[in-house]
Amino acid sequence: MSLSKISLRLFILVLTGSVLLTACKEKEKDKPGDTFDKAGILTNLSDNLIMPAYADLKKAVDSLVVANNNFSTDLTFQSFVELQTKFKSAYSAYQWCSTSEFGPAESEIIRASFNTFPCDEGQIINNYTTGTYDLGSASNIDAKGFPAIDYLLHKSGSDNSKNFSMLSNSSPSISYLTALIAELKTKTDIVNTTWSNGYRATFSNNTGTDAGGSVGLLVNQLNYDFELLKNAKIGIPLGKRTLGTPMPEKIEGYYSETSLQLITEQIKSIENMYLGRSKSGIDGKGLDDYLDHINAQYNSGSLNTAIKNKFISVKTKLAAIPESLANSVVNNQAIVDAAYAEMQQLVVLLKVDMPSALGVLITYQDNDGD
Amino acid sequence: MSQDQTNSFHQFLNTRVHIAPLAVFRILFGAMMFASTLRFMLKGWVYDLYIKPQFYFKYYGFEWVQPFDSVGMYTLFVIMAIAALLIMLGYKYRLATLLFFLSFTYVELIDKSNYLNHYYFVSIVSFLLILLPAGRYFSIDTYLNPLKTVTHIPRWLMLPLQLQMGLVYFFAGVAKINADWLLHALPLRIWLPPHTNLPIIGGFMEELWVAYLFSWFGAIYDLSIPFLLIFKRTRTIAYGLVIIFHIATAILFPIGMFPYIMIICTLIFFSESFHLRFIQIIQQLIESLHLYKSENRVSEIKPYLFSIRLKKILTLVLITHFSIQLFMPFRYLLYPGKLFWTEQGYRFSWRVMLMEKAGKTFFYVKDKTTQKSGEVMMSEILTPNQEKMMATQPDMILQYAHFLKQKYQEQGIANPEIKVLSYVSLNGSGSRLFIDSSVDLTTQKESFRNKTWILPFTTN
Repeated sequence: MSLSKISLRLFILVLTGSVLLTACKEKEKDKPGDTFDKAGILTNLSDNLIMPAYADLKKAVDSLVVANNNFSTDLTFQSFVELQTKFKSAYSAYQWCSTSEFGPAESEIIRASFNTFPCDEGQIINNYTTGTYDLGSASNIDAKGFPAIDYLLHKSGSDNSKNFSMLSNSSPSISYLTALIAELKTKTDIVNTTWSNGYRATFSNNTGTDAGGSVGLLVNQLNYDFELLKNAKIGIPLGKRTLGTPMPEKIEGYYSETSLQLITEQIKSIENMYLGRSKSGIDGKGLDDYLDHINAQYNSGSLNTAIKNKFISVKTKLAAIPESLANSVVNNQAIVDAAYAEMQQLVVLLKVDMPSALGVLITYQDNDGD
Repeated sequence: MSQDQTNSFHQFLNTRVHIAPLAVFRILFGAMMFASTLRFMLKGWVYDLYIKPQFYFKYYGFEWVQPFDSVGMYTLFVIMAIAALLIMLGYKYRLATLLFFLSFTYVELIDKSNYLNHYYFVSIVSFLLILLPAGRYFSIDTYLNPLKTVTHIPRWLMLPLQLQMGLVYFFAGVAKINADWLLHALPLRIWLPPHTNLPIIGGFMEELWVAYLFSWFGAIYDLSIPFLLIFKRTRTIAYGLVIIFHIATAILFPIGMFPYIMIICTLIFFSESFHLRFIQIIQQLIESLHLYKSENRVSEIKPYLFSIRLKKILTLVLITHFSIQLFMPFRYLLYPGKLFWTEQGYRFSWRVMLMEKAGKTFFYVKDKTTQKSGEVMMSEILTPNQEKMMATQPDMILQYAHFLKQKYQEQGIANPEIKVLSYVSLNGSGSRLFIDSSVDLTTQKESFRNKTWILPFTTN
């Protein structure tokens, strides 16, 4: 038989085979154990994790706006402390959103606008003293968002009466603070509205495998966010980039000393995104179920189990770091380093093992492959 | 070979064939390249790949190839697009092909992390086009100077493009003859399941037998398609398979223009009457637009005349080119270890969509004078795509280590030591150590020699 005949027959076989099987398949489509319902993961994540996280952020930012209004009309220590409290809860609420930097959050550049740290004190001072600034400009990226608000509210660290007097005696700082909070609100509102008006459907239905498909976006952002956590929030302060010289002033939430709380929130958020678990603990469909469905292996065991265990040990090691992080990166380096090393192993599992089992393209850039 | 056979082979090579297939190839290739270049610019890739990065992974021996500034890069791409257009029109053909080849290849040589087999293919085809008289028929050159028209060329000038196409497919097929591809349906068993969202066939993408079927079909297709295209009897079926195969890959994988380029380029195997008909249709189209009247339709035979010297040069260049083409895919045999793991001798061999490989490399620097050490934060210098490509390719890891050494020396660390912790997963093997983390990479030199610091691939 000639090669052409073989190919032709093979081709016909493929074609008829496919047609026949499609016909059979149609009938038993609803049987469990058929193809994995990827849209189910996406719906669960959008409805039970992402959208609630943005709704929580909106609530927290709205309270922050109210607290700020109260403070600016009534410059008392009590209203100042209330403002600080609302700031901290909004900053915590944001940690649950930072993994979802796609769709509206991506177009609003939420991560960079809300949480570029350390902030540039000089730029902030310059902005509020001159009173002329454009928060939308790239040069102000480190003079706004939560880190800048953190600075305005907690400049003098633990000396809170000084924090209070410094802010309340400077009406330019108060109006700058108001402008910063207003930007948080505008952007948060846009993201919330866009998610409920259409993006939810766009996200859940985009089950494709290209870099723009939702599973791809999810895995890419999960990794990006987690690496940012490891490097910017722990590695750099620990001195990883500076040949061992600690850089405590580079930590997140430096002035309010909330760094460890923020990190704890973010790692829980990332873990939940992986598991498809809501903040209140209800476990829905997640990437973990997908990995189990395709029976992904790691060292002759289950990859999902390896990842789940690694999340637990990362959380344990992070919890072991004594307050404050700024102090610990200088005085308890071994403990912080242990947490860092554990996170590094989780990076490998999430960035190498998970995508190569999922067949998802890990890329942050649209390009041809071959 | 007997005297008779030698003679008949000689006769075969020198038989006059019509030039039309070459002219059509020129037109279609030029048009595809023009479209590809525009697409590349419109997608913003000139900026993303050649202006934004702070570091470029050079090819060994081509370290002198540097990107230009942003004006320079865009100018280069505009030149490339114009050259492609001129190739299509057949105006100043030699100059156009030369310009296109040089500009395209220069851009490809800037950064190894953008290596794609199909870019390599375009470079080679445009190189061959410089040598072939594809602009001597149905072109602006011959319209302006009808004396230049050529209707017939010896067959040995038609064969290079066909042979090149055949080699691409055949070697892509040979590369698929390995245990992972044929016996384990890897990597397709990883790549197909995510495609359950496709209409009709989506439901089968998670079935293992489908992965096997696709693997075997792909291998048999690549190995046999050059032969099926050569013979008239099987050509039509073969072309049907070409279309099905490439459309399938276009749907399943993000490979841009490549499938369409291959679908168009394989037309070179078709008969002269097919191509004459094609030209006739274009002619009628142009005439209907009243752009020109083809009064100078050539009916007599005008053979391609060239000096003995040119023939000798062409023969020498073609034989050298194809000898290199035959050697490249097998050079990996000169290296120990598993090819897919070490990638020593992997590129330039038509290994297309062959493996699922992902990795992550952490770089550590140590000041040997003060014994202080730290980690390199990757994202500050490399683009995500560069970091991803580097993580699985040892020569790039070494290059980056050398770059870091230089960078730290500029920062005042006279004696930096660079080590890596590198994990790679190959075809779903799970992550395992890739590079010997005890080796100071600044002490290792890049060369074609075996890289002893790549750890062997271990199976569970």
